Amino acid sequence: MNGRWIPLLGAFWRLNLAEELQYRANFVASVLGTLFSMATALLTLSLFFHHTTSLGGWDYWEIVVLLGVFNALTGVIEAVLRPGIGELAGEVRSGELDLVLVKPVDAQGFVSFRRLDIWRFTDVVLGLALAGYALTRLGRIPSLAQLAAFALALASAAVVVYAIWVVLMSLAFWFVSVENIAVLFDAVYEGARYPVSAYPGALRFVFVYLIPIAWTTTIPASALTGRLRPEIALAAALVAGLAFALSRALWRAALKRYAGASG
Amino acid sequence: MTSIVTAEGLSKTFQVKVRDPGLRGAVRALFRPRYRDVLAVRDVTFRIEPGEIVAFLGPNGAGKTTTLKMLAGLLYPTSGRVEAAGFVPWTGGPPFKRRIALVLGNRQQLVWDLPPEETFLLNRAIYDIPEVDYRARLAELVTLLELGDVLQKPVRQLSLGERMKCELVASLLHRPPLLFLDEPTLGLDVTAQEAIRRFLIEYRDRHGATVLLTSHYMQDVTALASRVLMINRGRLLYDGALDVLVARIARTKRIELALGGDGGDGHRVTAEALAAFGEVKSFHFPNAVLEVRREDAPATSARLLAAFPVADLSIEDPPIEEVIRLAFARGVEEEQ
Amino acid sequence: MIKRYAALIRNAWLVDLQYRASIVLWLLWGVTEPAIALGIWWAIAGDGSVAGYARADFARYFFAVMLINQLTIAWDSWYLDRWIREGELNYRLARPLHPAHEAVAENIAYKARTASVILVVWLLVAAAWPAVRLPLDPGRWALTLVAVLLAAAMRFFISFTTGLLAFWTTRATAIMELHAGVSLFLAGRIAPLALLPPAVAGVAGALWFRSMLAFPVDLLTGAVHGADAIVRGLASQVVWLGIWIVAYRIAWSRGIRKYGAVGG
Repeated sequence: MNGRWIPLLGAFWRLNLAEELQYRANFVASVLGTLFSMATALLTLSLFFHHTTSLGGWDYWEIVVLLGVFNALTGVIEAVLRPGIGELAGEVRSGELDLVLVKPVDAQGFVSFRRLDIWRFTDVVLGLALAGYALTRLGRIPSLAQLAAFALALASAAVVVYAIWVVLMSLAFWFVSVENIAVLFDAVYEGARYPVSAYPGALRFVFVYLIPIAWTTTIPASALTGRLRPEIALAAALVAGLAFALSRALWRAALKRYAGASG
Repeated sequence: MTSIVTAEGLSKTFQVKVRDPGLRGAVRALFRPRYRDVLAVRDVTFRIEPGEIVAFLGPNGAGKTTTLKMLAGLLYPTSGRVEAAGFVPWTGGPPFKRRIALVLGNRQQLVWDLPPEETFLLNRAIYDIPEVDYRARLAELVTLLELGDVLQKPVRQLSLGERMKCELVASLLHRPPLLFLDEPTLGLDVTAQEAIRRFLIEYRDRHGATVLLTSHYMQDVTALASRVLMINRGRLLYDGALDVLVARIARTKRIELALGGDGGDGHRVTAEALAAFGEVKSFHFPNAVLEVRREDAPATSARLLAAFPVADLSIEDPPIEEVIRLAFARGVEEEQ
Repeated sequence: MIKRYAALIRNAWLVDLQYRASIVLWLLWGVTEPAIALGIWWAIAGDGSVAGYARADFARYFFAVMLINQLTIAWDSWYLDRWIREGELNYRLARPLHPAHEAVAENIAYKARTASVILVVWLLVAAAWPAVRLPLDPGRWALTLVAVLLAAAMRFFISFTTGLLAFWTTRATAIMELHAGVSLFLAGRIAPLALLPPAVAGVAGALWFRSMLAFPVDLLTGAVHGADAIVRGLASQVVWLGIWIVAYRIAWSRGIRKYGAVGG
């Protein structure tokens, strides 16, 4: 493992950017798509709040903050994860992965960040903007400490999501016919749109302990709305570190198996 | 005997959007699109009799595939008349489609994840082929194409050559009298190419099928087709026997040399020295290309080998583009 | 014709066998969406009810959505778009078989596989959880079957017709996503139509959305009762099926004409 991959990634990103800038239509389409899905989510939320005044103890605008965080994280997933590590399952199947592995850089780092769908970063901006707007509607401006906790929680959330993707994609090394495994993530991640406390017992258990997406949106949103005890943010960072370490271990095992299989 | 394919004044014009570069151009194209006519096929006329093997020859973009698609009923002509297997292709419908086979070199009908046999069974149902006929024809095709155990393996595990052969089997189970093959040997290795050429001749001899193929490989034409239709930029330049065309046009051969020799002897060879043997088409050390008369090629090669330190030498036909350019430039007349 | 369908379905079934794992994942998607919605409404309903739906009612509703959505869903738009853009339509057009038949056969093969799984799951869950049980009512179930067939046929034509838009635009998939987004509400995937603001529910009923999913689901769970309401619901389905068939025919003949002009 050496540090050469930063300049290499830089080269790839330059090329990627030049490519992407050609497709201005894609930018407009992407923004429209995001706005549409955000509108749909807000409408869904409005529908729920037509019949209740709080969901899991959260009121409407608090959940909108959470929705903003959800969108920001989705932006990271679409911009970085899906075009990078998301391609892994298909590449294992087609054998293209070999082309990646011969490069003199750390495979995981390279695979994860080689391609960016930069237009999707607008989702991050839009998501954070939505969260900000919701905060003004709540009349709560987060303090510096809260913002710091939020930043930490959000970064941890991104790492946890990344770790989940690494684990899922590593499965592709064992179960080669599962190339649409990203669908599994998408389906379950829908559950991160709502605060964990909104779900009844069984589902809550699933979302907190089994597939820990609860950490990814509820905690950062709680930091912004002032519901978070500061220790939780640190715990989130710890969980993120743990998740990353576990996923890395699984990745290495997967690569070993791959090298053994096709060698 | 009535012709199986008739084309009269066949033309096809595509309208392509013209877009100015830049953002303003993109916006303008959205609201007030301008079009430009691309004359893909221009006033092409020919007749094909049953049992012929005919090759459409021409460089990429010449209009061969467009012509073939009009004959197969996938495109309708902008003007002119076309008739195939007793139908007007565009309106022929299922009765017409039962009488043709269309094989496209780059897109296949074989189901990717299943063995070819499954696609054959599917076609048997689609074309309503009786069980007895199906088994007999399948056996014959498999034998002629030398496909052994391949039928049980999923298509994605087959080589390109095996896939093409299976593609042909799938297309011929309903024994159509008219075959349209678009670049059937594209990308195949030499063995596979030759196998397919042999097969097509054998198949035609047995069943009297008419074969129309497009190609930009000269070897396809020399091995298969008695008759060549040369198309370039949408126009039919030549329609007739191949050997006549070659004799008329490709009067030259190219000798491609790679100069070598120990101690750098090759470096002392000059273009002037080479020019004594023939027309020097290109000379970038160590490679040289000379053009000589067809009849002189063997003898000149021998003299070159004797005179210079030659590491490698081959005699080639002029590139097809050259032959066509010559045909066009010299205004080849249609066969009398 | 039957022989051809048998062969097409068999083919599609065999291909699906190769993609067992992928199909399980799509199935999971079909289950998690209603499950999450159920979770939220369960929390909202509490010990009371929302617009007449208590917790058990929601449970029955969303299980019915799982099953009936799986039975009526159509996705031809996506691979029709691909066929048109990547030249895979050519050899299909050269065959004496309308490409739509292949799409229908694939639809049937996929559903046979997935819907049976959901049905089994529902039966198992019903054994343990009384809330999701349905009263034994063969007459109602037969009517539901009719409604399901009508809905499945209509959704197929909607999907195929929007797929044909690929003859004219590269954004056909975006249009499908738009439709899917709208039907999240109007077809009743996120909530029973009774919970929507009356004006919105009215639009859903006036257009084809209720016929897509909400009506067969309500029929199965007993939310629709009385011969009058049932007949009106079925009639609406028939009418919209007819309209979409007409739309499909127009799109197909115009689209093929355009294809013959510019090729693929």
